[in-house]
Amino acid sequence: MRPIAAALAALLLLAGCSERASTDAPPTIVFKHARMFGDDPVPRLVAAFQAKHPGVRVATEALGSGADEQHQFFVINLEGAGGRGRGPGFDVMMLDVIWVPEFARAGWLLDLTAALAPGELDAHFPAAADAARWNGRVWALPWNFNAGVLYYRADLLASHDLPVPRTDEALARAVATVRDTHPKLDGYVWQGKQYEGLTCNLLEALWAHDTSLLGPDGAVLPDGARAEAGFARLRGWIERGISPAWVSAADEELTRRAFGDGRALFLRNWFYAMDLFEAEDSAVRGRVGIAPLPRARDGVAAPGATGGSLLGISRATRHPAAAIAFARYLASEEAQRVLAGGSVLPTRRALYHDPALLAKRPHLPRFHDIALAARPRPVTPAYLMLSTGVQPEASAALVGVKTPARAVADARRQLGYALRGLR
Amino acid sequence: MSRRHALVDVAVLAALLLYATPFLWQVLTSFKPEAELLRVPPLWPSRLTLAHYEVVFTQSTVPIALWNSLATGVMTTLLACALGVPAAFALATLPVPAAGGLMLAIVASTAFPQIATVSPLYLLMRELGLRDTWTAVVLADASFALPFVIWLMTRFMREVPKALSEAAALDGCGRIGTLVRIHLPLTAPGLASVALLTFLFAWNEFLFAFTFTATEASRTVPVALALFPGVFEVPWGDIAAASILASIPPVVIVIGFQRWLVRGLLAGSLTE
Amino acid sequence: MPSSGRHRLTRRERAERRAAIAFVTPAVVTLAALTAAPALWVFWLSLRERLPVFGIDRFVGGAHYAFFATDPRFWSALRVTGTFTLVSVAIELVLGVAVALALRGQRIGRRTALALLLLAWALPGVVTARVFEWLYQPVAGLVNVVLGAQLNWLGDPSLALPALIAADVWRTMPFVALFCYARLLTIPPAVYEAASVDGAGAVATLRFVTLPMLAPVLLVTMLFRTLDALRAFDIMYVLTGGGPAGMTETLTVYAYRSLFQTLRLGFGSALGVVVFALVMLVAAAYLGVLRRQDRAA
Repeated sequence: MRPIAAALAALLLLAGCSERASTDAPPTIVFKHARMFGDDPVPRLVAAFQAKHPGVRVATEALGSGADEQHQFFVINLEGAGGRGRGPGFDVMMLDVIWVPEFARAGWLLDLTAALAPGELDAHFPAAADAARWNGRVWALPWNFNAGVLYYRADLLASHDLPVPRTDEALARAVATVRDTHPKLDGYVWQGKQYEGLTCNLLEALWAHDTSLLGPDGAVLPDGARAEAGFARLRGWIERGISPAWVSAADEELTRRAFGDGRALFLRNWFYAMDLFEAEDSAVRGRVGIAPLPRARDGVAAPGATGGSLLGISRATRHPAAAIAFARYLASEEAQRVLAGGSVLPTRRALYHDPALLAKRPHLPRFHDIALAARPRPVTPAYLMLSTGVQPEASAALVGVKTPARAVADARRQLGYALRGLR
Repeated sequence: MSRRHALVDVAVLAALLLYATPFLWQVLTSFKPEAELLRVPPLWPSRLTLAHYEVVFTQSTVPIALWNSLATGVMTTLLACALGVPAAFALATLPVPAAGGLMLAIVASTAFPQIATVSPLYLLMRELGLRDTWTAVVLADASFALPFVIWLMTRFMREVPKALSEAAALDGCGRIGTLVRIHLPLTAPGLASVALLTFLFAWNEFLFAFTFTATEASRTVPVALALFPGVFEVPWGDIAAASILASIPPVVIVIGFQRWLVRGLLAGSLTE
Repeated sequence: MPSSGRHRLTRRERAERRAAIAFVTPAVVTLAALTAAPALWVFWLSLRERLPVFGIDRFVGGAHYAFFATDPRFWSALRVTGTFTLVSVAIELVLGVAVALALRGQRIGRRTALALLLLAWALPGVVTARVFEWLYQPVAGLVNVVLGAQLNWLGDPSLALPALIAADVWRTMPFVALFCYARLLTIPPAVYEAASVDGAGAVATLRFVTLPMLAPVLLVTMLFRTLDALRAFDIMYVLTGGGPAGMTETLTVYAYRSLFQTLRLGFGSALGVVVFALVMLVAAAYLGVLRRQDRAA
């Protein structure tokens, strides 16, 4: 009896040991995120989460600042991780809104559909919730939101008795009128540098002409004439002097600085810029208004493009429960409220009418309405291919190296080849 | 040839100093206070500051990258020399089968473009589970430098008089003994040059490092410099400081090891 | 008895042969695995459509190459690569020879002179790119300040490629200068004395004495430099990223973007193969010329 009892006891001990070993070590999940403007809210959120979930530790790692670089980082790590089963080294990722379909299609994201309560995404903007879905499943949680919007110098418009422009012509007239008294003022600044920002501006121009980059059947630039009009709209602003030539090499920050220093009348940018214009030391504090983007055609809406980020979980994560809990916490109202206190805009609609937040940022309801009308960039795993393929063509049309017709034709050929046979 | 006036020499030196202006301007920029960076003229700052270097050391990934570059540079050099020196010795002194063809293949492979081999290497590193490791970078860099190492060291080894190796053989020296006791000491200066050139190449290398190192933990300095973050606007001063730090080994080599560098470069120029 | 032309290896010779193989094998295996095999593999990849994101990996034969034939972006990249290479190499050669001639009689501070010269060559390409990015900055860049201009060097489609070429020439001219300088040092003074005795002036001496003696070195340097320019990647990728409007997008940048920005491994490999073929063609052509020169000499 004794040896058997001893053996049994030993076995039980061993079993107990291994169990304890696996639950003793606190799971550490790694959160990769891009550094945020201004006061970084992430450390506070992490601390709050860890307080609520004492068994989990979160390590954060910052990504490089450029979207292209972040994308390459994720791609090389997630794709490369497939080779030998070795995980990519992170669990929760801050994903740009345009990457979700691509990463989902590639099988790099954990399917969250089952882990979420039904209707859990309803509290977010429809556009933000749609960005989290692909092929009928949910692959990420909406985290922060952005949309393209028109900023204008309310003081200059008022002093010249000009209404807020609703159309391209009205915008052009406003620029001409104000330039009479302010000849050195840049008129309308937007992002024309050859990068993702240009694709956003191009898409907005195409939408304003009632067409898009991808047709419903997946054809590239389906309506040639309207596509040309879209390309020509961008070129036209520069050619007619409404926009300065340097716009063709400008990104968000360059244009924001120009407008924020008082050197431009109109600016197309994302939501985030408003906080910087309203900052204590801003040269345009209290003099900036926001409006929907101007229309190019009668009866055709001109929505801004949506932007922002979502929280995705790597399919190779070793702590899915902890990772999902962390992601849900970050997307929760409590956490998004903290974000909204900074310069990052939340995806939860209710927060845009929250009295506590409105006290600091009275323009939130205005953003809310514009956000409702905003349109996502083409939701397809091939989006990066589309965007990087159309950027050189748009850039060439902008600087006058190619005519809009040539640019459209070349874009169609390039992208047609890249997309053939893709689902 | 008639002697040149000393003034001409000084003029030439001045002209070369002017030629180095781009780099010197970067050095100056790295010590310029932030507020004065975009206010030019005046060219010379009102005071010098270490603020940019402080930012680079405390807030950027450049310090880790410097260490990564040093480590991968040394490992690449060691690997390339460990593989290349015996091969060169054999090609110079031993009857290697198909030596002519082999030498031709080696010389031809110095022309291979990195952009052509990077996609297969990426897949290979992925299969081997070496993505984002020093090993991947070292293997890629060493294999790229290896043909040069073999080519140059073969030349240097061929210059060792046959009589010496024959004498060593008569003394009962094995092949390895001959290599170690005769050829290595005699070609040591040449080997130093080749090692220096290999290290410089590995330190400066960008394409492979950019592709095979993804995280900040394994990035080399050129990659860290290329990806130097700027949240609001481009931090010219900080980038300048980072550039100067990245240039330290090349500057040290050009000033302190000039003779070796020149010898290595010129050795490859002699036409066969 | 040994038959004509062949003889059995002595034991010693066999041992030598074995040793030779042993010494050479590690290097050959490494090169075979990491250089030769990839060179073949990239060609195989170029015949496929391989998109890891979509899980696609299928044979398409020469489809990519056929596409290149009608792809404006490909021809633009080819043009940019060609222009960059030709102009860069031409300027480097002229400047390099000039600098070598200037250095030839240098007595004071020769080491300092060489250090100042070689600094540009020794710096990492990324550093050079960052240095010139700052020099070309429209508002505070040294170039605009010195010229008193407001030119947008890296944003203007007509200025970007010249700006890139200038940066590349800056960092590669020292290489040419060094080689020419070394060669010039080997020309015995007697040659020049003979020329001046014959009544040759400075220009004539240059044309009929110095340059012909430099020619072989120039040819070799031109070979190295052309191959390097065709393969160049770091400086244009970091300085301009291929923009604006693809005006500085060489084949290497086009290939790298296709490969690692959008993971089009087959398409990008095909572009890599084109660069490969270009480089080997140029190398073969040069070597042909060199060999003819050698035979004539």
